[in-house]
Amino acid sequence: MRNYFKKISDLLFNALESSEILILNFDAEETDFVRYNKSKIRQAGRVHQVSLDINLIKKGKTLRSSLRLSTEYTRDKTLLVRTLFFLRREVNELPKDPYLIYEKNINSSNLIDDQGLNAQNMSSRILDISSSHDMVGILSSGKIVKGFANSLGQFNWHESDSFNFDWSLYDDNGKAVKQNYADRKWNQDTFTRLYAESAQQLSVISNDEQKVEPGSYRVYLSPSALNEIIDMMSWGGFSYKANKIGSSPLHLMAKGDREFDKSVSFSEDLSNGISPKFHSDGFIKPNNTELITEGKYQKSLISPRSALEYSVKHNAAEDYESPVSIKLETGEINSKKILETLGTGIYLNNLWYLNFSDRNNARVTGLTRFGCFYVKDGELIGPINTMRFDETMYNIFGTKLAGLTNEQQLLMDTSTYEQRSVHSSTIPGAVVEDFRLTL
Amino acid sequence: MKEDFVNIVRPLLPNVDYCSIRFVSRYSNIINATRSVVEPVSIYEDEGIMVTVFNDGGFGYGATSNTTKSGIKAAIDFALNWSGYSKDKLTYYPDLSKIQTQNGSFFTKENEQWSKVSMKDKADFLLEVNRALKSKPSISNWGAGIRHNTIETQFIDTIDSNIRQKLSYILPQMIVSAEYKKEIQTRTYGGHAHARQAGYDFIDTIAMHDKALELSEDVVELSRAKNCENNITDIIIAPDQMILQIHESIGHPLELDRILGDERNYAGSSFVNQEMFGKYKYGSDCLNVTFDPSVSSELASCNYDDDGTEAKREYLIKDGILLRPIGGLFSSQRAEMDYVACSRACNWNRPPIDRMGNINLEPGKSSLNEMVSSISEGIYVETNNSWSIDDKRNKFQFGCEKGTLIKDGKFTNIVKNVNYRGITEKFWNNLVNVGDKSTYEILGTSNCGKGEPNQTIFVGHATPACHFKEIDVFGGV
Repeated sequence: MRNYFKKISDLLFNALESSEILILNFDAEETDFVRYNKSKIRQAGRVHQVSLDINLIKKGKTLRSSLRLSTEYTRDKTLLVRTLFFLRREVNELPKDPYLIYEKNINSSNLIDDQGLNAQNMSSRILDISSSHDMVGILSSGKIVKGFANSLGQFNWHESDSFNFDWSLYDDNGKAVKQNYADRKWNQDTFTRLYAESAQQLSVISNDEQKVEPGSYRVYLSPSALNEIIDMMSWGGFSYKANKIGSSPLHLMAKGDREFDKSVSFSEDLSNGISPKFHSDGFIKPNNTELITEGKYQKSLISPRSALEYSVKHNAAEDYESPVSIKLETGEINSKKILETLGTGIYLNNLWYLNFSDRNNARVTGLTRFGCFYVKDGELIGPINTMRFDETMYNIFGTKLAGLTNEQQLLMDTSTYEQRSVHSSTIPGAVVEDFRLTL
Repeated sequence: MKEDFVNIVRPLLPNVDYCSIRFVSRYSNIINATRSVVEPVSIYEDEGIMVTVFNDGGFGYGATSNTTKSGIKAAIDFALNWSGYSKDKLTYYPDLSKIQTQNGSFFTKENEQWSKVSMKDKADFLLEVNRALKSKPSISNWGAGIRHNTIETQFIDTIDSNIRQKLSYILPQMIVSAEYKKEIQTRTYGGHAHARQAGYDFIDTIAMHDKALELSEDVVELSRAKNCENNITDIIIAPDQMILQIHESIGHPLELDRILGDERNYAGSSFVNQEMFGKYKYGSDCLNVTFDPSVSSELASCNYDDDGTEAKREYLIKDGILLRPIGGLFSSQRAEMDYVACSRACNWNRPPIDRMGNINLEPGKSSLNEMVSSISEGIYVETNNSWSIDDKRNKFQFGCEKGTLIKDGKFTNIVKNVNYRGITEKFWNNLVNVGDKSTYEILGTSNCGKGEPNQTIFVGHATPACHFKEIDVFGGV
């Protein structure tokens, strides 16, 4: 695949006129998807997809085209040459782009991690272990490739095998627990342990439902639950542009009017290597960008285009300016003693379908879903009824934050819209006071 | 590939119980002008095929962007391989004799083709709309855009079906924000609601420039408006919010694959169960909801779904009684229920699943004035800006950009940060009155997410304004 990208890059670069710059982004994936319901296969198949984004820059103007490729050179050559001619003709019609920017320094890189995954073997192990449960979920397994090349000579390659098995176990009353196993190489012992944990939780969730009424509760938010709130925060919260135009839920914090608790420090941390470090216009992203430090808004993610629009220095964020690998620093609550620390309250393993109820004031709503329990005097009593919460981020991470746990969890994004995601989060859990449940 | 599809592919069909091959070619062009600058224009060209094989108790699919003969053969091999592996491991295996041979086509009516208007003219038009949006000094952000999508599908199978459909749709979008005392209010047009199957002429019919001036006036007034007060009150919901209400609390809970449990790990299940069909009182007597693929220019209008089932109009809810789920031919077999042609895939690289098509709330008999006149105290809400509902589609909360108070049968002041919440099972039974044709709008959203692997698809909703009683309405912090 790498050689093929090189070959078509050369084809296009050799066809350029002297006034033209070409930027190419290559995306490919070969994925086996196995979807399960009731511990049987619902749908299974393989998807092979290759695409190329071509960005032609000419005399301060730019036009982009994205193409699917066959990876058969004769077929693709015709399509690529035709597209280049089309872009060359049409780009002249457009006005100059005042925020046009691309990397002019050469920063090439190469990463290949081939694990030779076998989805049918994994699936057989999943079906074996789950046969006595009502399991529903999806296994995604295979290769993800990202490539970058420009006509100035830069070439970057990021190719890795990975899998993500995301599943839930249901009891007869419709209560469920959720678990996830994602890695580069399948380890049967790890999978067996994780599966056993979810089966163990299922036995507790089958206790009598504890009916919770609207009100304020002391809650534990697991890393997964907290990550849902951080996802909402990332809808513009760390975007320089969104803070400038006011669509950021944290714009008051960015202006210095609000703060989180001192124990809260967020960063964009690419050091786990899950997401490529090269930007779609060739810039190399820093390993670490501090976003919120000890409760104070530190820095936004700034795309090169925003940098030109607002005359600031960029940090190689993509145009959408939201984190791809966010990290929240740990706190002091012993992760092994969560129930004890919570005392009496609600243990929230999973939140669902969040949205803003007052974006200006960082207020979000959403619902409890998988594995949410009532806890009394440090003991899990039973699952709660589905409840809606409505709470501000300034309460959750500020005045009402009792503390963060001393262990983080790496959460791989399970999203497969259009293509498999390479985003991740590294998040501890949190204990929060007076968390408002409304319906 | 498009021209030769049938000739190339038919000889490759394998000798199995049933096989279909779906070729999809998509074209998308997005032009945006934000804060009076034309953003980089994007063009997307995409084509690929999906092969599905049912054989000897197994099912598998293979999808590829390699539409050469060798690529298609490889995709067939993937599908055969997975169908072999999944033999006797499936949730269910359909009765393949129920699949009918279909031959036909569908094409969106486009009076003016997208390509006939130059990129420069489109960009100039959007800059003009930007000027209208930025017509007040306190406006802090503004932008306008148009997205054009064409999706061409060809479908053949081992029982001699041959279907060709070409859908084109336009999604106009505008946004304008105003800041007052460090608080931002935003008005939008299009994004969640105004997608239509149409040619470029659709842009002329919606008068974007005039709408931009209206939005601009609106948002400045809204930024200085009072916060919505907490109240249990009457509410009239405008069509551009009704579509989310229909979508989330009627469309999704009636999807049969949810009811059968397929979506429990992701999009969720439903409070509706199979026993409720034919007798459950979903809403008041004036609630009538159809699955209607025949409405001209509505977003999901078509003649066939992606499993090759012929599409027809059917009542899902009639006079408030739940009649039929949104389940395709295969799901309906699993559930032993009636079907609609709703088995849809977002692209060639995802398998069809049960999806909303056009899910419409049929008009009633009241004009907007008549509905307002009947209310002593209430609120008229417009344009969704927040949506959230539980995994069984029961406890919902929606936010709207703008509320207009109603007092003694008349509109009074506007309010900001309008939210309302409720429970689906109670909410639709509080439907007091359904607007007539004068309040009815054909709308559609382009981004309904569901499925594992995930899929985003476009769905249509046509609806009048509707009046509900005893709704929990509240404002911001």
